[in-house]
Parts: sequence; C-alpha cells; structure tokens
Amino acid sequence: MEGDNVYIPHVMKIEKVIQETGNIKTFHFNFKDQSQKDKFTFKSGQFAEYSIFGEGEATFCVSSSPTRMDHLEFSVMKAGKVTAAIHELQEGDEIGFRGPYGNWFPLDLLQGKNLVFVGGGIGLAPLRSLIWNVIDNRDSYGDVIVLYGARSPADLSFKYDLEAWDKGDAIDMYTTVDRGDDAWTGRVGLIPPVLEEIGPSAQDTVAITCGPPIMIKFTLQSLAKLGFTPEQIVTTLEMKMKCGIGKCGRCNIGNIYVCKDGPVFTYAQIQNFLSDEF
Amino acid sequence: MGNKKIKKDQLNTLFNELSKDCSVLVPTRSKGYIGFDLWDENNGDFIGWYKNTTIPLKANFFPKVEDMFRFNKGEGGYEIKEILPEEESQIIFGVRPCDARALKIIGTLFADTYKDPYFLKRRENAILIGLGCNEPCDTCFCASMGASPGESQDVDLLCTDMGDELLFETVSKKGEDLLSNMRGLSDSSDGDSSKAKELREAANNKIQRKIDTSNLKEKMRANFENREYWENVSMKCMSCGICTYVCPTCHCFDIHDENNKKDGLRVRNWDSCKFPLFTRMPMENPRHEKWRRVRQRYHHKFEYYDMNFGVIACTGCGRCIRECPVNVDVTQIITGIQSL
Amino acid sequence: MENRLKEEAGKLLKEGKVDYIVGYGKGSVKFRTSPLITNKEEELENLVINPFIANNLSRYPIELKARVGIVVKGCDSRSLISLIQDKKVNREDVVILGVPCEGVVDIKKIEKHIGKDIDQIEEIKREGENLTIQANGSNQTLSFKDAIFDKCLGCEYPTPLEYDVLLGTEISPKPDMEKSLMRIKELENMDATDRWSYWREEFSKCIRCYGCKNVCPACFCERCFIDVNIPQWVNTYATWQDNLVFQLIRTLHVAGRCSDCGECERACPVGIPLRSLQRKMVEEVKDLFDYEAGVDKDALPVFTHYEDTDPEEFIK
Repeated sequence: MEGDNVYIPHVMKIEKVIQETGNIKTFHFNFKDQSQKDKFTFKSGQFAEYSIFGEGEATFCVSSSPTRMDHLEFSVMKAGKVTAAIHELQEGDEIGFRGPYGNWFPLDLLQGKNLVFVGGGIGLAPLRSLIWNVIDNRDSYGDVIVLYGARSPADLSFKYDLEAWDKGDAIDMYTTVDRGDDAWTGRVGLIPPVLEEIGPSAQDTVAITCGPPIMIKFTLQSLAKLGFTPEQIVTTLEMKMKCGIGKCGRCNIGNIYVCKDGPVFTYAQIQNFLSDEF
Repeated sequence: MGNKKIKKDQLNTLFNELSKDCSVLVPTRSKGYIGFDLWDENNGDFIGWYKNTTIPLKANFFPKVEDMFRFNKGEGGYEIKEILPEEESQIIFGVRPCDARALKIIGTLFADTYKDPYFLKRRENAILIGLGCNEPCDTCFCASMGASPGESQDVDLLCTDMGDELLFETVSKKGEDLLSNMRGLSDSSDGDSSKAKELREAANNKIQRKIDTSNLKEKMRANFENREYWENVSMKCMSCGICTYVCPTCHCFDIHDENNKKDGLRVRNWDSCKFPLFTRMPMENPRHEKWRRVRQRYHHKFEYYDMNFGVIACTGCGRCIRECPVNVDVTQIITGIQSL
Repeated sequence: MENRLKEEAGKLLKEGKVDYIVGYGKGSVKFRTSPLITNKEEELENLVINPFIANNLSRYPIELKARVGIVVKGCDSRSLISLIQDKKVNREDVVILGVPCEGVVDIKKIEKHIGKDIDQIEEIKREGENLTIQANGSNQTLSFKDAIFDKCLGCEYPTPLEYDVLLGTEISPKPDMEKSLMRIKELENMDATDRWSYWREEFSKCIRCYGCKNVCPACFCERCFIDVNIPQWVNTYATWQDNLVFQLIRTLHVAGRCSDCGECERACPVGIPLRSLQRKMVEEVKDLFDYEAGVDKDALPVFTHYEDTDPEEFIK
C-alpha cells in the first residue's frame, strides 16, 4: 500500500458473512494492517470502493456505525459480475477497500430534532449506520421513528437489527412487507401509505429515506402530504459509480458528481434535476 | 529573456540535440493517423502538412488504457504494487493551442480535491512547445471558445511559423529555461514579433465556424427538459464513442481488472457517456434513451463544467465534427439551443 | 434525381404513407453529406443526392420503429434486404427510394492523389469519367475511378436490388475486382508472420470507440457480446489483443450479413483497414456456402437456417 495514490486500495480481511436474504449478504471486515485501521475514520452515509482482485471494483456504503469501530460492515445485493464474486467471499478472504468517499448524513442538521427513517430493501444499509450512531448518542435527538419495508418477509434484511430496535426503547420501530406469507403476523402494506398511517409530525423533524427509486418517489410524495418541506427531507442518490472521487464522470448528474458531492442530499438540493433524469 | 528564432532547415539539428537529454515527440502520420511519436529524422517533414493530430494530446497524459497497479496473491495474501508513469521528462513539439488549452481544462479536474497521480505525474514531466495555427481547418471554432488559433498561454514555449523560420516565444518559466539551453537559435527582432502578430490576426480572421457562448449555461438549463429538441438533434447519432474519444477535453473513464485472481493488473481505460452501459445499474438506467445521453454530453461540457470549474469543456478543435461518421455538429447543436 | 426524390418523399409524407423520410442532407463539412431524418415536409428541400452520399442509412429503420421512406444505394439496399431477411425490418414498413450509384467519392483518396488536404480543396466537379478538383485556386483532373472507395470499384450491384421507386436509370455493373480487392490480395500473399504483425500493428491503434460496430447495419444485436460481462468474453479496454479478438468475433457475427458496404472502415477514426477483414469474410461465405448477403429478400439467411441435405453430420 503506497502513500498518496487514491486509487490504491487497502487490503482487508473478511471476518464474517451473514446471509440476509436470498440475494443480499452482509460482510464484516477489518484492516489487515492495524496501523491503517488506527488512522481510519468515516461518517455515516459515506461509501467506499470494494475490490475483488481479478474481477473489479464496486461501490457500497459502509453500513456499520462509526460509533462501533471494532470492525466495518458492508452489504451487497447480487446483481452483476463483481457483486456475484463478492457473494462468493468466505471468512478469511481478502478484498480491496478504498475510501471513505462522499459526504455524510448531516448530523448537525439532525441534532436535537425528531427523526423519521424510511428505508426499503437494501436501502436500510446506509440508514442503519446512522440509526446505530443515533442510538449511541441517544440524548442528542428527539423522538426517533424507523419504518422499514421489503417486498416479502423473506426480503427483510438486517433482521437482527430490526429485532434489537423493536425490543429496545430507543426508537419506535415499524416493519412492513408488500406481501405477507403464512408465517407473517406483522404489518402488510407499501411503505408510503404505511408512513401516512403512522403520520409523524413534520414539526422539528427531519426525514431520512433510502431505498429503490420507485419507493423514494412515492415516499417523497407522502412526506410532502405530511407537511415535510424539501429542506426537511434527506435522501441518498443512487447512480452508477466507478472512481468514487469525482473524476470518471459516470455519476455526473446536473453539475454534481454523486460520488463526490453526494450521495447524501436534501430533497431541496436535488429536486430540480431529479424530475427529469430519474 | 527575449524571443528566439530558427531556420526551418535547422530544426532537425535542434530536435537531435534535444533528443539527447529527453524524449522529443513530434506529430507523425506513420501509423496511418496523425499522432505524436518519438522524433527521428524520417518524420521531420510534418511542418509541411501538419494541421492537428487525429487523437488529441490528452492521450499522451490520459492514455486510452493504462496500468494502475499490479495485485499478486502470495502466501501472506494480496500484495499491491503501484505502477506510476516513468519519471523521464518529455518535450512535445507541435502542440496546437486548442489542445494545450484542453489539457489545462481537464488538468483542473484531475487535480481537484483528490489528486490523480497518473495524469499529474505525466503533466509534471512534460514540456509543451506550442505551434500556432496559421491555417485553421474548416472545422475549427476555437475563436468562439475564448481562444485563438495562433496564441496560447497554456504551453511552455510558443512557436509561430514565419515561412522560412520559426519564432519561439517564452510563455512559462519551464519554457524560458528550455529556450536558454537550446542551441542554434538566433535572437529575433521587433519586426519578427509584429510579423507574428499579423499572422495570428490573419489566422483568427480565417475561422469561419462560430458559436455564441453568451448566457449559454442559462439557456441550456432553461431547455434541459426540451425533449423535442434533444430527440431531434440526436436522431442521427449512432451512439458510438468517436466524438468523446477524439475530444481533447472528454475525460470519462472506466476501471477494470485483468481476469486473473492470482496475479493481474488493474487498468483504467477511456469510457464514453454515449454508450448505454455507461450509467446502467442493475435495476435501472437513467440514460437508457439515446437523446438523454446526447443531452448529457453537451450539458456536461457547456453547462456543468462551466458551473464547476468556470470554463466550458470545449476548445473548438472541431475533431468531433470531422470524425463523426454521421456528421453530428456541435456548433449546430449549440446554435440551435441559442435560437430556442 | 434530387428533384425526383424531393417530389416522391413529399408525396409519401403528405399522403401519410410513411412517418419519416430517411435520406441525405447537406453536411456541415465540405464534401460530406449527413443523414437527414425528418417527418417535416418543409425539411425535404434539404435532401441531396451527389457523389458524397457515403452513409449506409439502413440501420435507422430498426431504431425508428416507424414507417420509413428510405434512400438507398445499391450496397445499402443489400443491407436493408439482409435486415428484412433477419426480420429486424418489416418490408411493409419501408418505402425504398433507390438511387442507382456509380460510386461514392472517398475524399481521403483525393487528398492523397493531389497532395493537398481537404481544407485546401475548394471544389470537386464531376465531368464525365473525370473529376475536376480545384484546390488553392488551381485545377487538377482525376479519374472518377481513382477517387471512389475501394468497395465501389468492385460493386456488382450499383442499382438497388429492392426498391419501390427507382430515382434514376439502372446502371450496369462494371466491377474491377482486381483493384477493389487489391489490399486483400496483398494481405493474402503475405506470409503468416508478416500478416500477424501487420494486424497487431493495426489493432494497436484501436481506441474501442465502437464506431465500426455502431454504424454497421449487420450489427443489430440488442446486446452486443462486448457489453456482456458474465462471462467477460473480451476485455473492454483497448489492448491490441482484445481489440483484435473483438473485431474477429464481430467479423464472424456479421458473416453472411455483411454486404461490404464499408461503413466500418469509413467510420474508423484511426484508419484501421477493417474492410479487408469483412470483405475477406464475404469471399469466404461465397466460397463455402455459395451465398451472397442481401441479394434476395425471400432467401433464408445462410447461418440461421438448416437443411436436411446439409453435408455436415454434426447437426443431425
């Protein structure tokens, strides 16, 4: 590992593999070189470039919390060449890691506010980093609601988190699925109507949402109905990335590079170009 | 230091001398297209025919494919070995003002926030000797892009073709140092300078193709959602990457690994926003439709780059117009927007 | 021919027989034309037919997904027929406006012959079998045959093979195969080592812009193998080996469809003689299967059908 070349990854070791759903896995990983680990910091919402040497690089957020630095975590849905190779990883395998990149959830904006987290599918990954961060500094925030949904009970990721949050008294936890199954006794319904039914007050509140584009689109509408202004809504933009540092041009949309200027934005910042390109 | 000049028939001797200390690149057409290649006496005739290179100067600093590092899996796991460009210094002779300007424009991005060591290292080690254009091409529109065919502030030395002689003018400190070490040159007179000035003005006046860049950013923003316009102008586009790859300011790239998990290279290569795959994600592609990709290219150059770096990412070199197999013409597209 | 074209195209749009006219308009660069695709009658005034109508327009109907009135030369008609055979274009959806063609001018050949570049050329005029070229104020004469693309020299179908309207009079073919295939013969006569280093050199130039593939009317796959990465058949970065393999696979994929329109070579910004590969394959297909691409719209495409009388055992 050389000093100042931003494209050179750290070598990391996989410590644990968790099968979240049929096509999503979470990986716990750690620096091979302790001195690098000591220097490393990140903030909730930031992402990194992960390599499988011989296959290539792909972009995922760091899904663990910076308040819990024992190890790092990332979660991957199997979708293409690199993610398929990542899904083959076993405990003890090595990956490349460079980052953290991008901006982060605006903790200064969130401090002292009520928080509404709305996550869909694997979109909970960046949110859970922030949720654990909030739980670990619970006194700094008002009421916290988490609404998480997936297509079916089998598609719910991070079940261990959902359970922990549900049991604890730090947050109000709501889980919903689009379609239940025989064993499902919980809530059934799409995220936006469920959100409207919960009906959190927009007063002194910030909503943070992440999920598939179609969910985001309707969640934004529901939040507007509940009185949230574009400035009170924080979301992450999904765009194809490669370099992670605002050079390769792939994630350029409007005058921003999602990787360098994002991926975290208030809805106010992106509503102009969101309409046409998404 | 004053300016210098040299008789054209002395150029061979000059290049031979310079080649002793570093590599000297000059325009050649030995490969079947025009590009910069190592000087040898056989390719010294370029002054007679050279207009500009087919592939822009950017390729010498940001090559179509380059090695970034080697990964190797040994007993202790992966070892990574950085591969940086060679330190050797390089003189590139015959750089056209549009391309020198383009290099500066993309250099801003490569140096912004995160330094790109590959581009910057090569740039650091290169000395650019510009060659002003006395005879701009039919496709040139540099004069509309804040530049002029015969002038450049983005090279180290600037040459002007004076007929039998070449005039060398100092632009940068690097250039001044080089000029003071060049042998076989004589001092130039005030008369030479005024003759060069006339030649430049004449060249500037020869430029036929023009675009209007005033309020262009605003105009483009206002028409961003003008789907009809973009569908119309993109209809004939074939979605190949020629315009982006011959563009001296297009700088998008991809990163790949050699298909070998034990021992291989990570490389980066040119990529193009004209390709549907450029923005394709597993679940969606915001620019699946051709007109959206065409729109992206022009907005990136003429609006976003200007917003971010205060300069339009187009120098009016005209390569995209010349090389496009279906003659998509950027000047027509921009003029069309201005007339909306 | 030009006036007749404007007339016919106008009628087609006016009567609602087609949604678009696809033809040639004046280019923005000297001695070039540019595809003109329009559904507006007033734009038909800009249609041209001249010795510079290089583009093969037959790809456009695939993308337009509409009824199209399309201008084709002899070679282009073969591409269009091929697309009809492959069911990428419905014959009923196209009104073919045929242009009998004596050959298209290759400006690079003129530049080479007269030793001046395009910017110095002021005018090119056809006078019988000759071209008069005015450059830097003085005139030079060049035989028309010396100024047209190699593929045109060997053209066996100067009159479109399929048309609804023929815009001029039929032209009888006068192919000069020796000249047209000269470069291919030279390559055939090289010894294998030299030929290998020749192609190695040529493919080192490739920048992977995919101009060749994207202008090719036979390259109509919705997803090209080069865009597939599971498995990664060929690397998408431009090493000479990957470039060569990419082009060889492409050559095989268009075999039996390629009608030697030469667009791949014309598009190539770095001047790789791609037609040599494609035309060689055309010869091979002719020798092995007695098949010529795009000469009969009712024929079954050579590589996508099978006959019981096939002498090969493997398929039975």
